[in-house]
Amino acid sequence: MSAARIARAAALGILCSVLAVCLFADRFTSYSYATQFRELPNAAPSSLHLLGTDGLGRDLFTRLLYGTRVSLLLAPAAAIIATFLAAVLGCIAGFSGGWLEKAILAAADVSMALPLLLLLLALRAVLPLSISPFVSIVATFVLLGFLGWPASLRVIWATARALRNSDFIVLARATGCSRFRLLSRHVFPNLRPVLLAQFWISIPLFVLTEATLSMLGLGVMEPMASWGNLLKGLEDFSAVRANPWSLSPLLLLVVVVISFQLVLPQREELA
Amino acid sequence: MFRASRLIALFCLALMAATTRAQSGGELHFCLHGEPKTFNPVLVEDEASENVRYLTGGVLIRLNRQTQALEPALATSWKISPDRKTITFQIRPGIYFSDGTPFTSDDVAYTMRLLLDPNTHSPTGDSFEVGAGKTEIKTPSPEVVAITFPGPIAGLERLFDQVAILSVHSPKKEMAVLGPFYVSEYKAGSYVLLRKNSNYWKHDAQGHALPYLDSIQLDIQRNRDIELVRFRRGELQLINRLDPELYERLKAEDPSLTRTAGTGLDAEEFWFNQSTSAPMPDYKRAWFRTTEFRKAVSLAINRADISRIVYRGFAKPAFGPVSPSNRFWFNAALEEPKYDPQGALRLFTKAGFRFQQETLKDAAGNRVEFTLVTNSGNTAREKMAAMIQQDLSQVGIKVNVVTFDFPSLIERMTRTFDYDACLLGLVNTDLDPNGQMNVWLSSGENHQWNPSQKSPATAWEAEIDQLMRGQATAATEKERKAKFDRVQQIVSEQQPFIYLINKDVLTAVSPAVAGAAPVVLNPPAFWNAETLRVQNSSQLGAQK
Amino acid sequence: MRTLVQKFAWRLVLLVAITLIGGFLAATLIRFAPGYSVDERELDPRLNQASKEAIRNDRQLHSGLLAYYGQYLARAVHGDLGVSQGLEQPVATLIKERLPVTAKSVFAAMVLCWCSAFALAFAGLFYGGFLLDASGTIASGLLIALPTGVVAMLAVYVHAPVFVAIAVIIFPKVFRYLRNLLDHAYAQPYVTAARARGISDTLIIFRHVLPLVGAPVLALAGVSLSMAFGAAIPVEALCDSPGVGQLAWQAAMNRDLPLIINLTLILTMITVAFNSALDFRQETAQ
Repeated sequence: MSAARIARAAALGILCSVLAVCLFADRFTSYSYATQFRELPNAAPSSLHLLGTDGLGRDLFTRLLYGTRVSLLLAPAAAIIATFLAAVLGCIAGFSGGWLEKAILAAADVSMALPLLLLLLALRAVLPLSISPFVSIVATFVLLGFLGWPASLRVIWATARALRNSDFIVLARATGCSRFRLLSRHVFPNLRPVLLAQFWISIPLFVLTEATLSMLGLGVMEPMASWGNLLKGLEDFSAVRANPWSLSPLLLLVVVVISFQLVLPQREELA
Repeated sequence: MFRASRLIALFCLALMAATTRAQSGGELHFCLHGEPKTFNPVLVEDEASENVRYLTGGVLIRLNRQTQALEPALATSWKISPDRKTITFQIRPGIYFSDGTPFTSDDVAYTMRLLLDPNTHSPTGDSFEVGAGKTEIKTPSPEVVAITFPGPIAGLERLFDQVAILSVHSPKKEMAVLGPFYVSEYKAGSYVLLRKNSNYWKHDAQGHALPYLDSIQLDIQRNRDIELVRFRRGELQLINRLDPELYERLKAEDPSLTRTAGTGLDAEEFWFNQSTSAPMPDYKRAWFRTTEFRKAVSLAINRADISRIVYRGFAKPAFGPVSPSNRFWFNAALEEPKYDPQGALRLFTKAGFRFQQETLKDAAGNRVEFTLVTNSGNTAREKMAAMIQQDLSQVGIKVNVVTFDFPSLIERMTRTFDYDACLLGLVNTDLDPNGQMNVWLSSGENHQWNPSQKSPATAWEAEIDQLMRGQATAATEKERKAKFDRVQQIVSEQQPFIYLINKDVLTAVSPAVAGAAPVVLNPPAFWNAETLRVQNSSQLGAQK
Repeated sequence: MRTLVQKFAWRLVLLVAITLIGGFLAATLIRFAPGYSVDERELDPRLNQASKEAIRNDRQLHSGLLAYYGQYLARAVHGDLGVSQGLEQPVATLIKERLPVTAKSVFAAMVLCWCSAFALAFAGLFYGGFLLDASGTIASGLLIALPTGVVAMLAVYVHAPVFVAIAVIIFPKVFRYLRNLLDHAYAQPYVTAARARGISDTLIIFRHVLPLVGAPVLALAGVSLSMAFGAAIPVEALCDSPGVGQLAWQAAMNRDLPLIINLTLILTMITVAFNSALDFRQETAQ
C-alpha cells in the first residue's frame, strides 16, 4: 500500500503548506484584501495580480489567502462540533433505546424539515447591528456546528444500534468491560467510517452555508473574504468567463477537502 | 348527426388555423421576473401583474411611452371642469369586451366605484388621493361618463393610464378585457399565455386590426442568467430589462441584439436614519441630522466609479429624485453631483468634525462609524455598498456593510428603526410628482429618513410639505412645475436621500421581432406590443 | 409481546404526534422571525394610510400562536388549509398543483443518485485500483464543493432536468457514506475469511456485506430523502421549476405563515413516515 502512503504524505504536505501560507498571508502578498484597484476590475492574471482581480478590482490571490484563513480554520471546527454532537446523540439513541431513542430521532426528523434559516434570521435580529466581523464569523460557524448534527444522526444511530446487538459488544459486556473501555475500544472504532464521512462531507457544506448566511446579515461581511463568498461569485458566469482564474477557490477547496479525506485513517488500519 | 357536426366543427377549426397562419403575426415569447399576484387590474401592485395588465387592460387615456404625451384610447375625448374636480369622458362607441360583452359608460362607472372604494385598497385607486368626501359618477348616456371628485386633483387625466376598465355585466368578471390581448392560460409558477383579443378596438394606419401578434407567452423566470441563455437559444425573443453585465456580454457577442433606451427613471440612493425612535446613541443621530455631514458624505462618493464598475458604464450619476429622462418634471437647473473628497473634508471640519490619523472624529471625540444596510441578493447594491465603504474610508469614516433579506430590512426601516443608513432603490412608477406625495410629506409613511412625523422636524421639511401640498392644488402645470423644481432644489441642498445613479434601460430584442423601439418608461421593450410582429416563426421553431 | 397491528397503530400515533409538533415549531419560527407581518407593499408610495393599515392588519396574528394553530388544525380537519398570504391563493390548490412536480423530481433524483452511488461504490470495492479510487474521491470532492446555485445554473446550461441537479447535489453525500460503510464491512475479518475461502463476490455481498450495512444504509436512505427535499428548495427556486421547493422558498421569504405550516407538515410527514416504515420493517424482520 505504498501508493496510498505516498498520497497520504502528499496530502499532509498540502494541508500543512496551505495552512502555513494562509496563516502568514501578509508575507505572501503586498496587497490588502479590501483595496479596490478600480482601473482593473475583472482583470486577467498578470505579474501584478497573480490570479487577476474580482469585479471590484480587488486582488484575487490576496482574497484567496485571507479567505482560506477564515474558512480553513473555522469550517473544520464547525464540522467537528457537528460530528461530535451527532456521535454523542446517535450513541445515546442507539444504546439507550426506549423513549430517549424515539425522542432524539424525532427531533432529528423534525429539525430536518423545519425552515432553520428563520432561526438564523432571528439570531441576527437579537445581535446588535454593528458586531465586529470576527465575532460574526465565529458565531456563525459555531451556530452552524450546533445545527448540523441531524443529517448524520440517523446513520450513526443505525450503526450504533447494530453494534449494541453485535456479538463482540455482548461478549465485552459479559466479561465486565468498563463502560468507558467499551465505548473507546469497541464502539468508537466501529463508528469511525461514518464519523469520518460526516466530517469530510461537512467541511465544504459549512464553507458554502457560510456564504448563504452572509446574505442574511450573519457570517463574513464586506470587505472580508471567505471561501464561501469567493465561491458565491461563481454563480456569476460572465465573471468566470472574463477571468477563469476565479475558479481557483473551488480548486483549492476541492484539493483541501480531498487532502482531509486522504490524511484521515483509512480502512487498512481498521481491518 | 353528432358525428357530422363534429366533422364540420373540425373542418372549420382547420380552416381557421389555415387562415390565421396565412396572416399570422406569430407568437412573442418572453419572461416575467416574478409571479403575477393578481389578474384583477384594480388590485395590481407588483411588476409582473402590471405587465399583464398593460397587455390586457383597456384604458380611457393612454400615456404614449415614447412621446410621454397622453392619447385618447377608449375615450375619444375628455374634458376637465375649470374647478378641476370633474372629468367628462366621451366614450368610443361600438366596442366589445374580449368575451363579446358590449362596453358602455356603466363599465367605467363600475370600475371607478370599485377602484375608489376604500375597502378595495387598490394602489391605483389610492393614487387618486381623493381624500374625504364622496365621488359622484354620472352616466347620462352609454357614451358619456362624468366623474366628480370631492376636491381638485392635479394631473388628473394621466392617472387614467393605469385604470383598466372592468365589465360590469360579463360573467367572466375581470377576465373580460378591452386591451389587445386576453389571459388564455395560466399555470402558477410556470407561465401565462395571452391570446389576441379579436374585439380590440384599434386599427393600424392601413386599417388592419391590431394587434398583429396571435399570442404572447410569458414565462415566469426569476433568474436573469437563465433568461439570457434562453434568449440566445432563440426560445425567447425579448428581454424587457437586462442587467448591465449580461447586456455587455450579449453586446460583445452580437451588438444587433441589444437595445438601450438611455437613462431610465429609477434611481439608487441611500439615506441616513434621522428618526427619533431609532435606538442609536444621541451623538450619532446628531451627525445624521447635520446637513454638512450628509453633503460631505455625498461629496466623498465617486459616482462615476460606481457607474463604470457596477453598471459597466450603463448608468449616470443621479441629480435627485427626478431623472433627466422625465422630460417635463426634471429640474434642469440642478447642479451635477460632484466627487470631491477634499471638499468633503472641508465640510466636515466646518461642521466640527476632526480628521486625524486617517480617522474622522466628531467634536466630542467619537469615531465616525456607521452601518450601511441593504437587501441581500442584489449584486449591484452589494458592490455599491463595498465601493461606498472604500470611498468613505478615504475621509476617515468606517462603514460596516450588512445585508438582510427584504422582510427583515423592511422591519428595520418601518418598525424598529434599528439601522444607521440604508441603501435601496425606490422605484419611480409615475412621471408625476403626485405619485411621490407619501415620500416627500413629513407625515408620510414613505418619508424614509424620518417617517410619519407629527410635525416637520426641520424647516426645510416644513417647506417641502408646503410646496408638495401647493403643487397638488396649483392651477397650472407651470405653477406645479415651479413648486416641484424648488422641492428638487431643497433635496439637493439637504441630501436627505443621497442619490447615487440613474440606471440605463437595457433591453434585448431578437431580430425576429419587427417594430420594437425600446423606451425608458415601463414597459420598455414591449410598450408597443400591439404593433409588434414576430417574423419567420417557423424557422425559430426549428431552432428550438 | 405486542401484536403487529398494535405496533403499527403505535407507529401511526407517533407519526401524527411528531408531524403536529413539527408544524407548530415551524409556526413558532415564522412568528418570531424578524420581518414577520411585514409586507413589501408597505414601500409603495401610492398606497394611502388606510390601505397600508389594512395590509398590516391582514398579516397580523389576531390570537395567540397556540390558539391560531388550534384553529388551523380544526379547519384543516375539514379540508380547509387556509390561504397563502404572499400568493393570495388557497394553500390546498397551491400544494395540489405543485407537490407532484417536486415528488417526481425527488423520486427520480433518489433513483439516479442511489443507483450510481451503489454502482460506483461496488466498482471501487471489486476493481479497486488506485485510479478508480482516486477519480471517485476527486469527483465527489468536486461535486460537494460546488455551490447549489452553480449546479442549478449548469443544469440549465446543459438542458438537464431538475432531478439531475438534485441528484448531483445529494450524490456525493450518499456516495461518501456508502463507500465508507462498504469499505468497513468488506474489511471485516469474517469477510476476509470468506474471500480467502474463494466464495464468489456476489455471494459475499448478499451474505455478509449487505446484512452488516443494511441498517445504516436504510437509515441513509431516509436521510437522503430529506436531503433531496432540502436540495429541491434552492434548485427549484433558481431554475424556476414550479414545485413545492420553489413554494417553500417563497413562503420563507414572504414569512407566509399558513403556507409554511402546511409545507412543514407535509415534509415532516414524508420524512417521518419513510423512516418509520424502514424502522417498522426492521422491527418486524427481527
